[in-house]
Amino acid sequence: MSHKSLIGIVVAVFLWALTCGSGAVAAQETAQGDHVQVRWLAPEQFESGRETIGFYFEVDPGWHVYWRNAGDSGAAPRFDFVAASGEVGDIQWPLPVRLPIEHLTNLGYEGNVVYLFPVTPDASRMEIVVNLEWLVCKVDCIPGYGSMSLSRPVADAVQWSPGERALRDRFAARVPQPLAVQDSSSMSWRVAGVSAAPEGDSLQLVIDTGDAEAEFSPPEVFPLDGGFLTAKAPQVEKTGDVVRYTFQRVPGAVVPPSTGFVISDGSSAWQLDELEIQAAAASEPLASGSGQPLWLLLLAAIAGGAILNLMPCVFPVLSIKLLGLIGPQGEASGRLHEGLRYAAGVLVTFAALGALLLILRAGGAAIGWGFQLQSAPVVLGLILLFWVMALSFSGLYEFGHHLMNLAGRSRGGAFATGVLAVFVAAPCTGPFMGAALGAATLLPAYGAMAIFLGLGVGLALPFVLLCAFPALLNRLPAPGQWMETLRQLLAFPLYATVIWLLWVLGRLVGESGWLIGTLLMLAVVFAFWLGRHGFRGSRWIAWGLVLAALVASFGAAHRLQASGSGSGSGQGAQGAAAQSAAGWRPYDRNAIGQALARGQGVFIDYTAAWCITCQVNKKLVLESEGVEALFRAHDVYLVRADWTDQDPEITRALAELGRNSVPVYAWYAPGERTPVLLPQILQADMIEALFAAGK
Amino acid sequence: MTQGKSGKRSIRKWLGGSVLLALPMWALAVAVPGEKAPAFTEVDAAGETRSLEDYAGQWLVLEWFNKDCPYVRKHYGSGNMQALQKKYTDKDINWLTVISSAKGKQGYLEPAQALDVAESHNLNASAPFLLDADGSMGRAYGAKTTPHMFIINPEGVVVYAGAIDDNDSANPAVIPDSNNFVAAALDASLAGKAVGTASSRAYGCSVKY
Repeated sequence: MSHKSLIGIVVAVFLWALTCGSGAVAAQETAQGDHVQVRWLAPEQFESGRETIGFYFEVDPGWHVYWRNAGDSGAAPRFDFVAASGEVGDIQWPLPVRLPIEHLTNLGYEGNVVYLFPVTPDASRMEIVVNLEWLVCKVDCIPGYGSMSLSRPVADAVQWSPGERALRDRFAARVPQPLAVQDSSSMSWRVAGVSAAPEGDSLQLVIDTGDAEAEFSPPEVFPLDGGFLTAKAPQVEKTGDVVRYTFQRVPGAVVPPSTGFVISDGSSAWQLDELEIQAAAASEPLASGSGQPLWLLLLAAIAGGAILNLMPCVFPVLSIKLLGLIGPQGEASGRLHEGLRYAAGVLVTFAALGALLLILRAGGAAIGWGFQLQSAPVVLGLILLFWVMALSFSGLYEFGHHLMNLAGRSRGGAFATGVLAVFVAAPCTGPFMGAALGAATLLPAYGAMAIFLGLGVGLALPFVLLCAFPALLNRLPAPGQWMETLRQLLAFPLYATVIWLLWVLGRLVGESGWLIGTLLMLAVVFAFWLGRHGFRGSRWIAWGLVLAALVASFGAAHRLQASGSGSGSGQGAQGAAAQSAAGWRPYDRNAIGQALARGQGVFIDYTAAWCITCQVNKKLVLESEGVEALFRAHDVYLVRADWTDQDPEITRALAELGRNSVPVYAWYAPGERTPVLLPQILQADMIEALFAAGK
Repeated sequence: MTQGKSGKRSIRKWLGGSVLLALPMWALAVAVPGEKAPAFTEVDAAGETRSLEDYAGQWLVLEWFNKDCPYVRKHYGSGNMQALQKKYTDKDINWLTVISSAKGKQGYLEPAQALDVAESHNLNASAPFLLDADGSMGRAYGAKTTPHMFIINPEGVVVYAGAIDDNDSANPAVIPDSNNFVAAALDASLAGKAVGTASSRAYGCSVKY
């Protein structure tokens, strides 16, 4: 390969040097290089008017040449007009396609292409001499050089051979038209705004299609400036008649005052030059135009927060609190205070989280929701907390004066319950939370903070309402013996939570996670037992035991996670092996790109061990027999992107989808490069619908 | 691969009640101008381990290389790259040339071959090629093409990422008329001025991960 290309280069350089040295004389009507033949596409005879002619590049199958913006690698061909007996206009570039080349995306042509340009003869013969340079690539690239001359008569009528003219016309139809010429008549869309936050890494292009009813695939858009925007397919979101494209910027590129795009509806293409880029407030043109105004996002955030109340991981905390409210000491006036304190706890925590996200965002770091549960010591701490609570609920230990003070009735208690509720709610991103938080990472600071507070309001609202309207509370039965039973019953969700957290810990640090967690639990129970049997010094022994167990287990958990790859990725590798057996492959950008290139349908399950919604969807839908059979029948490339250990590759993939939390389900229909995102709560019929629509 | 990341992970602890909370932080795994350079540890062709920490407090240029890439040949065949390496290593700027080609892919070199290629190419870098056959360093930096260039300042911050110059022709004859971004960025930095162009589209061949 390299030997052959070397010869190719030597020959090409030689030819190029020869033609440069001897001028037009040595030039010929065609040029050749490895895998490429170039010839003129011109009439047999010109007329005196303007005529569009071109260079016809015949390229070997699997090889390609490039568009004006070649994308992540590669290079556009160069046409250096040495001499011409007339006026030669600019090169016109037919609409390209996105070419995934391993880890990169290029913009170019699959198969043959004609690069066109207009000429206006001003002599009796149309003479042109041009030096060419091109790059042809498959995975490896080979530059080619050549020199071509054209000499055709000019008379009163143009004469094309019909085949040549048809070829010219076919490619001329694919050349984007400047937008100014056709104005609003031929292109039915309007650019509603182009915006890019100076410190961000993306750019949003919003197009108003003017027709919310029409079922159309969103127009394809290619950036003209490869130094500013990457060639990767933008994330496309269609809301009503508005389509929003999110392009990735070249890292570190300065945002220019304006930029250009080429946009195509599949049959025609238009060029949009010098679109002014609005700075900072990425949401502003949207908020006024349409799309996702801030109030709508805020509403979604509040709704998402309210739904969090129903999530299984928040419920235990709320049940503790509710138990406190309906207890014998509960008084009407006190309840509202309790409710407001709880709300304050929730809001302060969300504000703190929002501030942290903003600080981290400003620092250029990316952060996703639910990270609290990616740290082994945090998980261990929660195991301890829920275990102690569960034991108390079961009646092993009276918490009335101890930990219940934290999560129970006292002043700090309601506030602390609020704080706690936020942290345990984090992994259960409700259906609305993903989108709201994704927006929060893109919005200006005040908008992002509003979203966070909206989530907090939503989470606190049902509880505050219950407190504010005692009438609702009064419908609850009067205190009595049933409370004891209820309290014992409520211990079971807590036990379940402990089991789930142990499983999460196991995923995080490997099998020893179970051992560490259960040993700590054993030590705690033993300490309780010691404490209750008041023989001499037993309390001290109990405290010493708990302290020692805490130090040892937290130390071990932290060390295990810090040493990371050892057990963590070992576990991951085991998981991966098990997954591939079931047809699910671990996340690999290149492999996904290849599957897309093959035209295979791709389904990506962005998931994490600590995400309950993900696990439920996996068990009930994705791994159900019917759905698995469906995937098999349609030869779908299944990918399980496991975000348990915050793999940066997957963080990046999520960011490209405009999300920073899981679950996310991305479906690439065969031949499609733009994913359809499925709802966070999956149903088997949603998967069935994908294939029903595809057929 | 995981080792590097968990090393970077710094955990902030916050104690509230009996709940331990931690929020790990990490930087996006790409070298972005104006941000901290991703850490790397690679073994060079002579068997010596080189890592980012070794160059703390010093200027460092990273260059991605593939001996069979026409664009690399453009700059090595013409002597352009070696001249740059010589010019700036003489000014005590470190220069590491990295091969991220995977085994079996174009441009992959065993250590002994790499030493031969360094010899035959008159490599003037601070070390014989760094051999990143698993692509970990290339991916951490987001190296897309050969030659993709990065400049890291003594504070460990990336000040330039992109192409070597502004002409993506494969023809060596264009070099004298090209605007060399790397030389411009280094000259400006050494003169204490801000870098004019901190980022550009890295032209060339794809890195063969």
